[in-house]
Amino acid sequence: MFDITILWETRELILQGLWNTVWICFLGCLLALSLGLVLAALRLANPRIFSYPVACYVELCRGIPLLILLFLLYYGGPSIGLTLSASVAGVVGIGLYGAGYFAEIYRGGFKSVPKGHLEAARMLGISPWHVLTRIQIPQMARLIVPPSTNQLIILVKESALISIISVDDLTKNATSIVNQTFQVIEPYLAVALLYWLIIELIARGGYALEKRLANRQPRPIEPRGGTRHAHG
Amino acid sequence: MPMVDSTTSTRQKAIVEAQGVSKQFGDLEVLTDIDFRLSPSEVVCVIGPSGSGKSTLLRCLAFLEPYDHGSVYIDSQLLGYEDSGGKRVRTSEKRVDEVRAPVGMVFQHFHLWPHRTALENVTEALRLVNGLSRREADEEGMAMLEQVGLADRAGHFPESLSGGQKQRVAIARALAMKPRVMFFDEPTSALDPELVGEVLEVMNKLAADGMTMVVVTHEMGFAAKVADRVIFMDQGRVVESGAPDKLFRHPQSERLQQFLNTWRERHID
Repeated sequence: MFDITILWETRELILQGLWNTVWICFLGCLLALSLGLVLAALRLANPRIFSYPVACYVELCRGIPLLILLFLLYYGGPSIGLTLSASVAGVVGIGLYGAGYFAEIYRGGFKSVPKGHLEAARMLGISPWHVLTRIQIPQMARLIVPPSTNQLIILVKESALISIISVDDLTKNATSIVNQTFQVIEPYLAVALLYWLIIELIARGGYALEKRLANRQPRPIEPRGGTRHAHG
Repeated sequence: MPMVDSTTSTRQKAIVEAQGVSKQFGDLEVLTDIDFRLSPSEVVCVIGPSGSGKSTLLRCLAFLEPYDHGSVYIDSQLLGYEDSGGKRVRTSEKRVDEVRAPVGMVFQHFHLWPHRTALENVTEALRLVNGLSRREADEEGMAMLEQVGLADRAGHFPESLSGGQKQRVAIARALAMKPRVMFFDEPTSALDPELVGEVLEVMNKLAADGMTMVVVTHEMGFAAKVADRVIFMDQGRVVESGAPDKLFRHPQSERLQQFLNTWRERHID
């Protein structure tokens, strides 16, 4: 009844699906993370002309199901001169969709750094660029890692939807195996395990990063005028 | 030098000068036509009830709040605005930094950067702005921390310092940039009463060393003892100003009398 050997026989399909899911998610998430940063910066920047359009974009992203976005890109794209392969449509879809969420995560991070910290830096003559890179980003980084990890996990899971626009990802290939072998449990359990592994990897990475950012040890201070060895 | 006019000669001696400064938040006028002059080595305390505009005045003098009308000069240089074809326009952030360079500021809530140790808080600007190497900056920073009595806390993060210690680190951080005038915005208002003394002591020492200071404060004792001049503000205007002795013993205006009475009632038990 429970026939594990079919997994071995169809291993090529499974591995192909794994590879496609991994690279599409990787590029899609990369796009989402970086586009999100641009959106957050535009939303917060002076002058505020971009603030409203960006806010609208974010609301749209959060208001449309990913599947509809994928349909629009893949099936609707050609009618406006945008012909994408299914995989590229998947990357773009995940990227555009995730960017809206990441923009909000970043915005929250920026807002959480007290204005006074920035004023103190500006009063010392520290340039706006250094205020951003040395004061704001290090402080917000700790705060945005947990929600960002969470969002990445959600995106990877939602990526199963790209199977519907005919990308040979884990989900679609599992379904193919089911159709070929008439075995349902084994293929789906196998890909479930693989999704879980990817996500576990992201989660572990997130924890590690979080820990690294939180447990920053002060560097040792050299005693004044003395030698290093005089340290007591 | 641009922006020179006939009054330059009278400005020469003031480090900080405000002329007819006004500021509105929406419909609310928080500062009305403020004139202010600060000479080298002078210590001026600004007192007044909450919402009187005293913190806003200090923030306008530092251009943390852009003022709407009037002029603020630091070392005779107009702060925050410049003349462009007869119209007044905002200067670049870089120009603001240049003009504001002689000013150091200490805030009510310290605003130490939590991801940096006490020493790093002090050395950050030395390295980023003055271009000192890590070693030079550390040496300079340690000297500053010593000056406020906190050399032994150099490696501590702000979260493990008391309020008084945080404020002293904040003072050291400002002093590291060798300011010629220090602005203090209610430096002891966020502190537990038993920690106020250590901060005031550092400020006392600074004043005794000849530092030019503007202190927005509720510490009447400090004002009476250290200030050369006290300014009393209410509803966005300077109501009275003069030597502390004169102001505290013989207040002219009814508002100041009321203010001092309220203060005395609260502090005698």
